[in-house]
Amino acid sequence: MQLSIKLALTAKAYDVDDFAAAQELYHSNGWTDGLPVVPPTQAAVEACLDWAGMPPDQLIGIEPVREQPLTAEKLAINAVMAGCLPMHFPVVVTAWQAMLKGEFLLHGTTSSTGGCAVLAIINGPIRLEIGASPTFNALGNSDRATSVIGRAIRLGLINLMDVRPGSIDRSTLGHPGKFSYCLAEDEEDTDWQPLSVMRGMPQGASAVTVMAAMAPRQLMNEWTTDPKEILETFAAEMRTNQLTYSIYGGNYVIVVPKQLREHIQAAGWTKQDIAEFLYERAQVRRGEWASVGKGSVVRERADKVHRALESPDQLLVVAAGGPAGGFGAVIAPWMGSKTKAVTAAIGACIDCEPSKR
Amino acid sequence: MTLRVFDPTNESKVAGVRPAPRPASLHGKVVGFITNGKEGTKGYFGHLDRMLRAELGVADVVWRTKSNYSAPADAYIVDEIKRWHAVVAGVGD
Repeated sequence: MQLSIKLALTAKAYDVDDFAAAQELYHSNGWTDGLPVVPPTQAAVEACLDWAGMPPDQLIGIEPVREQPLTAEKLAINAVMAGCLPMHFPVVVTAWQAMLKGEFLLHGTTSSTGGCAVLAIINGPIRLEIGASPTFNALGNSDRATSVIGRAIRLGLINLMDVRPGSIDRSTLGHPGKFSYCLAEDEEDTDWQPLSVMRGMPQGASAVTVMAAMAPRQLMNEWTTDPKEILETFAAEMRTNQLTYSIYGGNYVIVVPKQLREHIQAAGWTKQDIAEFLYERAQVRRGEWASVGKGSVVRERADKVHRALESPDQLLVVAAGGPAGGFGAVIAPWMGSKTKAVTAAIGACIDCEPSKR
Repeated sequence: MTLRVFDPTNESKVAGVRPAPRPASLHGKVVGFITNGKEGTKGYFGHLDRMLRAELGVADVVWRTKSNYSAPADAYIVDEIKRWHAVVAGVGD
């Protein structure tokens, strides 16, 4: 006989009269991002936990600076509020596990005046299972899955880490990606290896990559088919970011939609080729700061060269975007290499014992 | 119809931090500054350094700068704190 014991939720419960009253409860307590939330009922929260096979008290991780623990139950409550279906929850869990890695520097990135958001990039079969759309409007909340997963990350930050504007969140400006900043890679319509594979995940595994990221900087070049000329436009945007925002190197994302991607692929360029090209081309001399009004911090180091990428593997190339238009995007890091992008496999056990043979 | 909904915040209690005993006076004491190295810290801590020495008789002020302004102080700095009577950690933005 098999006994099934279901652990009860332990979060404080509130009884409200109706949907509207639930909204007022959450908004008046500062538990939202300003948009309406889905009321996290017992059935909805438990459905998320069941889907992920997690008991409510399962520890997702501990934020290392403020030592804030994060449980599956609390994360599921926030995921439901964001609009997540149970099948979205494992992506949210994995994103958070990645964010809690020391190299991501969660506290630093989310408390900074710099105002970044957490960008999540989904790879692998789970994209298709959850209906994530990597084509039209890829950086503008193109579908239900990426919209609610990105939002769940932010609601978790607000409610579980106190990353509220004016509290832990000291962003001077922030950017609209804070509402939701999630996209899937268009693996079916490219010859390139998926981002997750480039970053060491097995082919065919589902994974999520998180990065503390600034807003997308859109560019356009539809007047050439030469990969070098196309990528010079990306390099120029990266150099501009170095001069006007932060000169220091770190993880950059470039998003390459189909029209430009096909030209680059037709010439036989791989993601590695792109990374090596941009590593060489995206660099500025410190003295160039003087041309954008920052001459006072050039000092005696005018000839010092700063690369946007400290090494080619810091570039995250993502195939995504609608089928037409010679556009692309550069997404800069929050602040050089003080934070690192982290990739984690979805559904992998991060603290399991190694198998004994 | 009544809805039962749940608190989304982190209700778990983190181990409390107990402040170190406060010195009754800073006269003749050593005060450490832990700065994040940003531009604004120079003026702020410079002024505080002068005030502590001139007005409160502090014997010495030790300046230390974190290697990463958004991360906790480096271990070697934290280790040094035990040799100071008081420490001031500030943000320079």
